[in-house]
Amino acid sequence: MTIDIFWRIPTHGEPSSLRNKLHHRGDWSQQEGDHIVHRGLSGGGEDGYTSLDYIAEVARAAEISGFHGGLIPSFPMTDEPWAVSAFLARETKTFRFMIAFQPGFLNPVTAAKMTASLQRATGGRALFNVITGGGGPSQLWWGDVAPHDDRYARTTEFLDVLRGLWKGGSFSHHGKFYHIEDGGLPPQLLGQDFPEIYFSGSSDAALASASKHAEYYLSWLEPFDQLRDKFNRVKERTDALGRKIKCAVRVDIIARRTEEEAWREVRRGFENLDDAAKQRYQRFAQQTGDSVGAGRQRSNAPKDLNNYRDFIIHPNVWSGLSLLRGGQTQGIVGSYEQVAERLDDLVQLGADAFILASTPHLEEAYRVGEEVLPLVHGHDTARALRAVG
Amino acid sequence: MALEFFWQLPTNGDGRYADAEKRRRGEREYAHSAYLTPGVSDPRGDTYNYFDYLHQIARAAELGGFNGIQIRNDPDGDESWIVAGYLARSTKYLTIIAEFDASRGSAVYAAKNAVSYQRFSHGRFAWKIGTGGNEKQRHSAGDFITEQDILKRIDEFVTVAQNVITQTSYTFEGEFFQVLEGGFKGPLSNQKVPPVYLAGSSEEAYQLSAKLADVHVLDAKPVELLKPEIAKLSALAAAHGRKLDIALRIDLLARETEEEAQFDAERFGQQSGNTYEVGSTSLLRAGLSGKHTDAAATLVGSYEQVIDKLVEYAQAGITTFILGAVPSLEEAYRVGEIILPEVRSLISGAGRRVA
Repeated sequence: MTIDIFWRIPTHGEPSSLRNKLHHRGDWSQQEGDHIVHRGLSGGGEDGYTSLDYIAEVARAAEISGFHGGLIPSFPMTDEPWAVSAFLARETKTFRFMIAFQPGFLNPVTAAKMTASLQRATGGRALFNVITGGGGPSQLWWGDVAPHDDRYARTTEFLDVLRGLWKGGSFSHHGKFYHIEDGGLPPQLLGQDFPEIYFSGSSDAALASASKHAEYYLSWLEPFDQLRDKFNRVKERTDALGRKIKCAVRVDIIARRTEEEAWREVRRGFENLDDAAKQRYQRFAQQTGDSVGAGRQRSNAPKDLNNYRDFIIHPNVWSGLSLLRGGQTQGIVGSYEQVAERLDDLVQLGADAFILASTPHLEEAYRVGEEVLPLVHGHDTARALRAVG
Repeated sequence: MALEFFWQLPTNGDGRYADAEKRRRGEREYAHSAYLTPGVSDPRGDTYNYFDYLHQIARAAELGGFNGIQIRNDPDGDESWIVAGYLARSTKYLTIIAEFDASRGSAVYAAKNAVSYQRFSHGRFAWKIGTGGNEKQRHSAGDFITEQDILKRIDEFVTVAQNVITQTSYTFEGEFFQVLEGGFKGPLSNQKVPPVYLAGSSEEAYQLSAKLADVHVLDAKPVELLKPEIAKLSALAAAHGRKLDIALRIDLLARETEEEAQFDAERFGQQSGNTYEVGSTSLLRAGLSGKHTDAAATLVGSYEQVIDKLVEYAQAGITTFILGAVPSLEEAYRVGEIILPEVRSLISGAGRRVA
């Protein structure tokens, strides 16, 4: 069995390095209290380019460098992955579009048709990162009023409907959230591959849904023992339902020729933190919400910002990444060899796929593709073939 | 007066004959035309499908000088938003109207996706919101709304979508949609609200268009019958202090001579098996446009006759034409080359371009 490695698409704008936040690609950066529009690479208007032009370059860098494709996130401040995927269908060859979305936002019949058409437009390169978490006011921002546990029941039912429609023929369904009478996909939209599902969510309600529908249970990086327990729990639960599920880890990496150089990136970024970033960190540490995954990330965070080393929670694992950019807190930092070893450690504790990311995503796609991926063994214990240098 | 011309893209197949909806160019399984004989090698494999052909129609519309394309929401066709995004990167200036129903999901999510479409296309994305067909069709699409609520839901959908695009703290609690302190910030803010195209001939539909549409699309009918409808819509919009553009959805069958046009119309009618008025002297024919294009009528005539009719419509107050013809690729070039420049020239007062 081989493992699949994906990249991530920075639809959230990004600086040219983690060392500082001064120059941004795409057209915005997160600042105190709001998102500030920047004139960065592309997106300037007069030149005719848009922020999608840089995103397209990242997607092409990822496919050229050996990644299966990329996760395209969905947050209030990002561009939407359905749009990115449709727009870039003709401009990529093997890149697989991992669309992050919350099923509750779409009519499942519409979603089935969108998915089938996107598979036709891309030659079967669409897959899903199904997300359900978040909650409270942030969910109402999206116009969604379903409470937390109901949302997972809805996700399950949504995917039931999607699979039902996918089979072809007349499909009827009368459930708690959806009613369809004599529906179905048109014949010429049938026969496409059903998108693989990477499922996010850490609560029990999430695991029940994941075990029914997901190919991969997707987790942020967490302390390794914690992650092993989580993966075991997911697999037990799925086994009990007679279904096999694989696990995947979404993790940022900072890989350099030497470990020292990698930590230097972290240290520079840490030293350059401005007050706004520090305040944002305090807010993060105190934040509430009903996302269990985000809560698990917070519980591992130090309360003070004295030394970047305080955030090292495991060899090569740094838990201060959200200080340097938005998103998850834990990442892998080290030499090319060390990063590959940690990824193999994660394979040993149950991971079969990765979604990696590093800033800036274009150059780092080449670096990671050239320097780290050839050192990852996955389940193959034989010595990897590679050029040393 | 600047006229706008749109070309309608068929999302459910296209071909040379009246059964165009069964033919999907680029797709071998649905090609209907003979494959090459075993004696001739076929280089295509499965490299292409219908999307590649749709791409050619969009490029034809752009090269032919259309202002935009309309992507049909055909229950049997490909999904219009995916098609719109797929075509946007290969076109430079076309406005791309995606036709869809307000049953597609959250209005906030639709608006957020639309914002990305606008950002990626420099504001070329527009919405035509339909009513979802009859009750059976709605139920098959997972939509159990009652007949009398359909327009009300469109009203809420558009209201919520427009406000989360233009505001940063918008709260709305309606019957069909809710949002709490919604609205897009940073670079997602200040994007162009997709122009809204609505249709329908009921009093309620007119009222809704007057209240919130940018363009109301009328079905093809003789110009004298359209005039009172145009007057009524304009008056209703004026009562709201708004200006409403009026579009006409009409198919064309234009040929160099009237005789050729009549000949092709009759052959088309025979192929389709539709009830079609043979020998009619009217240029406007019902029954020629089938399920494939969904137009109410087709303008059949010589180039000059069709041009003059379009000018008449424009003079009656139509500012936007949403045109269609089968097959969409070849006819986009024909209409773009011959019909559009002439109509534009006549309307601008420059007169006929060719003797």
